[in-house]
Amino acid sequence: MSEFLFIQSRDPFTDALTKSQYELINHLANAGNRVTVVLVQNGVMPATKSSIFTPFTKLLHENITLVADKFSLQQREIDAEQLIPEILTTDLDIVIKALLSGQKVIWN
Amino acid sequence: MSHIKTLTFAFMDPPFESERTVTFFRLLDAALDANSHVKVFAYEGAAALSFAKQQQHGNAIHGRDTEQEDHPLTKTWIASLQQKARKKALSFEWINCGLCVDERGVNDTIPGCNRGGPADLWRYASESFNTLTIGTR
Repeated sequence: MSEFLFIQSRDPFTDALTKSQYELINHLANAGNRVTVVLVQNGVMPATKSSIFTPFTKLLHENITLVADKFSLQQREIDAEQLIPEILTTDLDIVIKALLSGQKVIWN
Repeated sequence: MSHIKTLTFAFMDPPFESERTVTFFRLLDAALDANSHVKVFAYEGAAALSFAKQQQHGNAIHGRDTEQEDHPLTKTWIASLQQKARKKALSFEWINCGLCVDERGVNDTIPGCNRGGPADLWRYASESFNTLTIGTR
């Protein structure tokens, strides 16, 4: 089992590539790997309760931890209360901690 | 032997055009906060991040002069990170891809940012505990 951290920066509503990136994350989780997904920039857009994007919903997986960057949320006037309950907020230090602990960190 | 780990970042986005640039600088700042040495390989558009002739400007549409507009410059952010690293006794190395610099005419960089090539990225990554490549679509 490996640990992966994805920095997910793309908006799935405007970037078709995002769907295949979500699929890769799901494949890694289904293979037994621990995966953390950090939503940044427009990557936070599907994280709200009112968003409807089925491929993103599939990331709510027992092997996947979903977190959203506080700064990106603040820029878009999205409150933590508006997020899907399973998604917590974070600072970017989570990425640095992952790098310093030897995780595979991938920018999407 | 030092227990401080080194992280390498490879980045290719230019100043002033992408939100990725802001996120990239936030990551560098967080790396220094975590007491990590930092190495940056800047290629393609990112070779202009350290260009010394960047200048602030006013915003006539909004009626603001240069001082009021206070437009952020990436060369200033780099200098601030260099200063932060010095205060924490950490290293902060920066190499611009030489070919990318020549293409864009941005050879005049602020102090502490040097010229190199892809072999330096390989060296940086080999010398570092971990590497993050921030690619562009």
